[in-house]
Amino acid sequence: MSGALDDVLVLDVTETFWGSLAAALLGDFGASVVKLESTDTTTRELVDVDDRSAPGAWNSRFDLANRNKRSMALDMSSEAGRSIAHELVSAADVLITDKPAPWLSENGLDYDQSRVSNVSIIYVRGSGFGPEGPDAALSALDELAAARTGMMPILPQPGEPPVYPGHGQMYTSVMLAFGAVAALMHRRATGEGQRVDASLLAGNMYGASLDLQAFLAIGGERFLKATSRLDAGNPMSGTNYPTSDGLWVTLTMPETDRWWPQLAEITGMNAADSRFATHDLRCGEGRLVLMEILDLAFRKHPAAHWKKIFDERQMSADIIETYDFPRNDGMARDNRYILDLEDPSLGKTSMLGFPIFMAETPAVLSHTAPRLGQHTFEVLTDILGYAADEIVALAQQKVIA
Amino acid sequence: MSGILDGIRVVDLTMWFQGPVAAQHLADLGAEVIHFESTKGGDLARGVRSIRALPVGDWNQYFLVINRNKKSMAVDLNKPEGREIMHELVETSDVFLTNLSAKALEKWECDYATLSAKNPRLVYAMGSGYGPFGRVTKPSFDLTVQALIGIMSRLGEPGQPPIYLGMGSGDAMGGMMAAFGIMLALYARQASGVGQFLDASLYGAQLFMAAPTLQAYLATGEPRYLKQQARRAAQNALWNRYQASDKWLVVCAHDEGDAFARFCGAIGANALVKDLRFASADARRKNAQALTVVLDEVFAKRSAADWTSALRAKGIAASPIGNLADLAGDPQAWANRYFMTTHCDEVDREVTIRGMPVTFEKTPGEVQSLGPVLGQDTEIILTETLGYTWDDVSALKAAGAIL
Repeated sequence: MSGALDDVLVLDVTETFWGSLAAALLGDFGASVVKLESTDTTTRELVDVDDRSAPGAWNSRFDLANRNKRSMALDMSSEAGRSIAHELVSAADVLITDKPAPWLSENGLDYDQSRVSNVSIIYVRGSGFGPEGPDAALSALDELAAARTGMMPILPQPGEPPVYPGHGQMYTSVMLAFGAVAALMHRRATGEGQRVDASLLAGNMYGASLDLQAFLAIGGERFLKATSRLDAGNPMSGTNYPTSDGLWVTLTMPETDRWWPQLAEITGMNAADSRFATHDLRCGEGRLVLMEILDLAFRKHPAAHWKKIFDERQMSADIIETYDFPRNDGMARDNRYILDLEDPSLGKTSMLGFPIFMAETPAVLSHTAPRLGQHTFEVLTDILGYAADEIVALAQQKVIA
Repeated sequence: MSGILDGIRVVDLTMWFQGPVAAQHLADLGAEVIHFESTKGGDLARGVRSIRALPVGDWNQYFLVINRNKKSMAVDLNKPEGREIMHELVETSDVFLTNLSAKALEKWECDYATLSAKNPRLVYAMGSGYGPFGRVTKPSFDLTVQALIGIMSRLGEPGQPPIYLGMGSGDAMGGMMAAFGIMLALYARQASGVGQFLDASLYGAQLFMAAPTLQAYLATGEPRYLKQQARRAAQNALWNRYQASDKWLVVCAHDEGDAFARFCGAIGANALVKDLRFASADARRKNAQALTVVLDEVFAKRSAADWTSALRAKGIAASPIGNLADLAGDPQAWANRYFMTTHCDEVDREVTIRGMPVTFEKTPGEVQSLGPVLGQDTEIILTETLGYTWDDVSALKAAGAIL
């Protein structure tokens, strides 16, 4: 079996977790990905963006975001280094980058200069706020984009600080990968390359689609201020209730008629209670009372009790777990969502796997993240056709590492 | 302007959000997407207003935006004639997409084995709950799967309830993943000539959504990735949320080089630079909580916009934390077509909708119509695409196989 992108060469000029991961997604599905890095190591500081000095923080996110890649280290401040970069642009099908625009133009890697070397290049750029508009140049930091998206104030309970969830950047990763393959489809049909953009703002906005679209259609204060968890529109859907052992259950039963008899039974209520006899009563007049009753009922037993009942009865409800759940979950392994690895220096470790199962062109972990410059020689030889003595000369001039 | 997926036909047997939004991404890029619905009310998302699962305006923004640029066929798959229509349609299609249960798909003869035998070039895409090798068979929804990931438990202040990332946040990821998978399969098909089965489950997508912290926890097992962390317990006070006089703001500075001095200069707190508790990056990390408390007092004095411009002037990233109304008026979002306007027939006026998440220079995609009326395209697809006669159509109607 081979990969869906076996014939695709990707030049990866990324530095962020989300940007690098977009290129890794292409590599997972067979693309040959060459990560262009600077001969100094500053591009590798992906540990905890908010705290680079955190003790014991090993760069596992770098390992995830750069698996299945080859590393090519170039001194981009030299003429010779920039010239090799352009030879790579000529050879590549896709250039993917998350670097700031000034860096790209200084190093000859902006869209216009890339097209000089390769007129049909697919140029995929991840930015903070998109290619157009007054803030196109703002830093590509997920926190800034999340702050602009409007969800942070309404995620927590009333009176609590706004919450930074951190997942907005992940939509952007997948959008970049999706955009790259869509543009490859177009190029195969027409021969035409193009520029593809996805931003952190776009990713955060897409992730907030339903709340945002509801606000656009309805307006009003309800989407601007945090609401109490005991003030949900439907007590049985999108609601969380505490258990006796300090954990939480969560219910998603939008069509309450279907689930009401069972829910009433397991929580010790009378299904015929006239206050909650119809869907309209449960979501209308009886709503707040029902929430209070459920809030007390679920506190009577521990989470394990409820989990067992939900599973036995195949109910649309579950326990709110911690990261220990996926960490220990066999199902995540069976689906290759999490991979268990034996690292030569770290011993047994785990890594996020592949979110998409493809029967004929499955994702493959060919190799873990490369050392800086690990494949410089190989890339110069195999892709650009350099002779050994030329490479030695470049190394002596410190153009490559 | 031509679309990337012009000439690609997608049978979209999905409901709610995860499945339909995957097909919407394909429709935005020019694919002919046929939303295949039951004759009894169609996609349940058409009924969100009465179900009260989600707030709805005077137009059903939930269904109509997710299903934009699509056609609708209303067919009863419980009837043999209905299944025959499905099979004939699949024979002429490129992609079959579903997020229904395996049981329903088998009953309706829409399982992979049946459909791929009818059309070996078919890309059969599934948006399951727990993955093709999952053992969980109960119904899956965005929130019940998000609960398993662990991300909800780690957000917010210690002792606060878990935090849901937003309505449909995980479905949105699942939908984008499925669209990416379909694109990969279509690209592979151009070379191989054959389709395949793929699955982008809610569970897989949401694990990925948690990657920034989940990956760190998988690798290190450090409790700080697992548990709720107090805002004031952040190890770098220069990378945090602060309450200004009007709203909150976020500041993002690595504490390295002269960043602290610039930070203090920007907020008019130069005295802090000389404070022994904060004399070095090491000291500031040890006394991060004390520094946060001091900065809380400083930031409370002026507006978030004032602080943001003062900090940016010194090269420090900062932003007011806005609400959805701020976003709706954000020129940056409009300039990049992340918002668009379109005509809504249901209320006969222009409405604002979320726009294109990915910007394609030469094939930008467009919104030509909001979601279809149930079954609006059944007859034309039967006659023009599948070659049925009008007599056939009448007979199907009489038999209740179509709406």
